[in-house]
Amino acid sequence: MPVDAVISLKNISKRYQMGTETFYALRNISLNIERNDYVAIIGPSGSGKSTLMNILGCLDVPSEGQYLLANQAVATLDEAQLAQIRNQSVGFIFQSFNLLPRASVLANVMQPLVYRMIPTAQRRDMAEQALSRVGLSDKLGHFPNQLSGGQRQRVAIARALVTKPAILLGDEPTGNLDSKTTQDIMKLFDQLHEEGHTIVLVTHEQDIADHCRRVIRLVDGQVAQDSRNDMQTREKMHV
Amino acid sequence: MFSGLHATIEGTRAALASIRAHAMRSALTTLGIVIGVAAVITVVAVMEGLSASIDSQLDDLGSDMVTLRARTSQEQAMLGFANKLSYEDFIVLKSKVNNVQDMSATMQAFTFGSKVSYGRETIQTQVIGTDANYQKVIKVFPQQGRFVRSSDDDRRRRVVFIGESVRKKLKLPDNPIGEFISLSGEWFRIIGVAEERGSLFGFDQDNYIIAPFSTMASLAGSRVTENIDILFRPAPGASLDNVQAQIRQILRKRHHLSGDDKDDFEFITAKKTKESFEKVTTSVTLVAGGVVGISLLVGGIGVMNIMLVSVTERTREIGINKALGATPNFIMLQFLVEALVLSLFGGLIGLLLGWGLAALLSMLMPGMPGALVPGWAIALSFGFTTAIGVIFGLMPAVKASKLNPIDALRYE
Ligand SMILES: Nc1ncnc2c1ncn2[C@@H]1O[C@H](COP(=O)(O)OP(=O)(O)OP(=O)(O)O)[C@@H](O)[C@H]1O
Ligand SMILES: [Mg+2]
Repeated sequence: MPVDAVISLKNISKRYQMGTETFYALRNISLNIERNDYVAIIGPSGSGKSTLMNILGCLDVPSEGQYLLANQAVATLDEAQLAQIRNQSVGFIFQSFNLLPRASVLANVMQPLVYRMIPTAQRRDMAEQALSRVGLSDKLGHFPNQLSGGQRQRVAIARALVTKPAILLGDEPTGNLDSKTTQDIMKLFDQLHEEGHTIVLVTHEQDIADHCRRVIRLVDGQVAQDSRNDMQTREKMHV
Repeated sequence: MFSGLHATIEGTRAALASIRAHAMRSALTTLGIVIGVAAVITVVAVMEGLSASIDSQLDDLGSDMVTLRARTSQEQAMLGFANKLSYEDFIVLKSKVNNVQDMSATMQAFTFGSKVSYGRETIQTQVIGTDANYQKVIKVFPQQGRFVRSSDDDRRRRVVFIGESVRKKLKLPDNPIGEFISLSGEWFRIIGVAEERGSLFGFDQDNYIIAPFSTMASLAGSRVTENIDILFRPAPGASLDNVQAQIRQILRKRHHLSGDDKDDFEFITAKKTKESFEKVTTSVTLVAGGVVGISLLVGGIGVMNIMLVSVTERTREIGINKALGATPNFIMLQFLVEALVLSLFGGLIGLLLGWGLAALLSMLMPGMPGALVPGWAIALSFGFTTAIGVIFGLMPAVKASKLNPIDALRYE
């Protein structure tokens, strides 16, 4: 196992029991993701992308196989330790945003900081900074139901960034954005990548997949393709 | 890791936000507790007010005053006997018992009628025949005129000392000294009016007439004089037990009681009276306590119910918070604090409501003393509501803390 693999999956499967039938959302997945890699996960709808991301983000547990996160077996951790990982090591951008409906934009982005010993004033500074990076400085007091889909998505991105997590997991983070905003957000991911973060994005958009350094394609819960993009392909998208 | 204090502060903040978001529902949830605590406080306040006023009234009567009166056992009463203390008993006791002061004989003159009239007014009242010592024992003071003197008693003067209510009801002039009133057809001259005492439990304490013992005895004939009450106080520094022992010895001999016969008389002390009042107030408080305990239990179940609903309703929110790094302990604390705040809030409202209600009751009921809310009742109410918050909040809080993040996020 390469020491630099921040994420290491060995024979991971996820099973769902549907009545008498067993359904495999993920089947025997083994892969390593290195520190500071920039990975796109693609595949048809229902191929298991979100399922995989949830396992990577320690939100869900595999039915079989071993997941090592920074060389630590996730299966051996208790709920409190998992909470700490979700809070400090991983930033998760949900496909369905998952904003807190009764909290303002600012409060939503401050929420992960609540679970750390950070003074309120500093939380506010950090949250405002993250929101300005996604271009939402003018919406701090809005509530999620007062925002467009694209704006909500950007709040979700800011919330994942605010803790400066080592690993950023985005489940279709640009799915609701127009091409201009998509480019801005990709520029942001590029910056984070340059700052040393490990980035894993699920996407349906070919140009975003092309822009990443590595592309993993899932089909029916299995890795169908795992390749690296050359420089030329990557620079097709101007960000 | 974050500390417990940090979690408590953040949990409280989250809990308050959630209570504010459902203000109406929160208010209704606490209703059971509000009613329970209000009931405790009202009952306790009224009871405390009553016993405080009883205490002070009994102290006014003279806490060292002892009444000696005839006692008829139930078996004797069923056989048609009635034991009596006679005027002769009184005379003997007065001359033989040491270490007593102000011994006086009183006679309740109910038996020969207590219709009193002045001009066209006629009223029913309590007529007491007694001697000059009575004033010292019972502490009645004239606001006008004077009390019965021993010379009145010696000469069987037809004079009366009246309570303020008697003066008012008979429409006597403001200064009635020297006026004559009729007592069962006999004329009596008013020599004094007592200071007003007010009412206790709605009983008028100023509706009485005091006449010299011998005057009353001569008018009433032997029927009434056969039974009297004897009032006395032990001399300063003297032991009451000793005085009672002397009296017991004399009376048992005079009444020809043998070794295993029970006393046919009893001593009533202010302390004894106080104790029997306390027994009543304690049992009322206990019964009320039981009722209140049940209503608090119902209130607690209400809190638990709403917290369970709240956990279900906020499943997704819990999932999001867990995904963002909330530990199970944090989530548990947040819901526990929420239950606690709800029930304490209910307790506080109940306290104020109960206090107000008790004050209102004592205002509306005539002769009712002011309400008193003792510190222990407040502490008890808050202790109880805290316990309810913790006990009934724990189950929903644990349920919330154990939710699996991915299942909670998928919850529709
Ligand atoms: N809780 C569940 N119970 C049963 N089946 C499930 C459950 N969660 C996911 N699945 C199934 O697992 C498969 C993979 O789902 P997943 O959400 O990972 O797909 P996806 O690749 O993210 O699709 P999309 O591109 O539409 O988001 C789907 O067929 C889905 O029906
Ligand atoms: Mg998906």
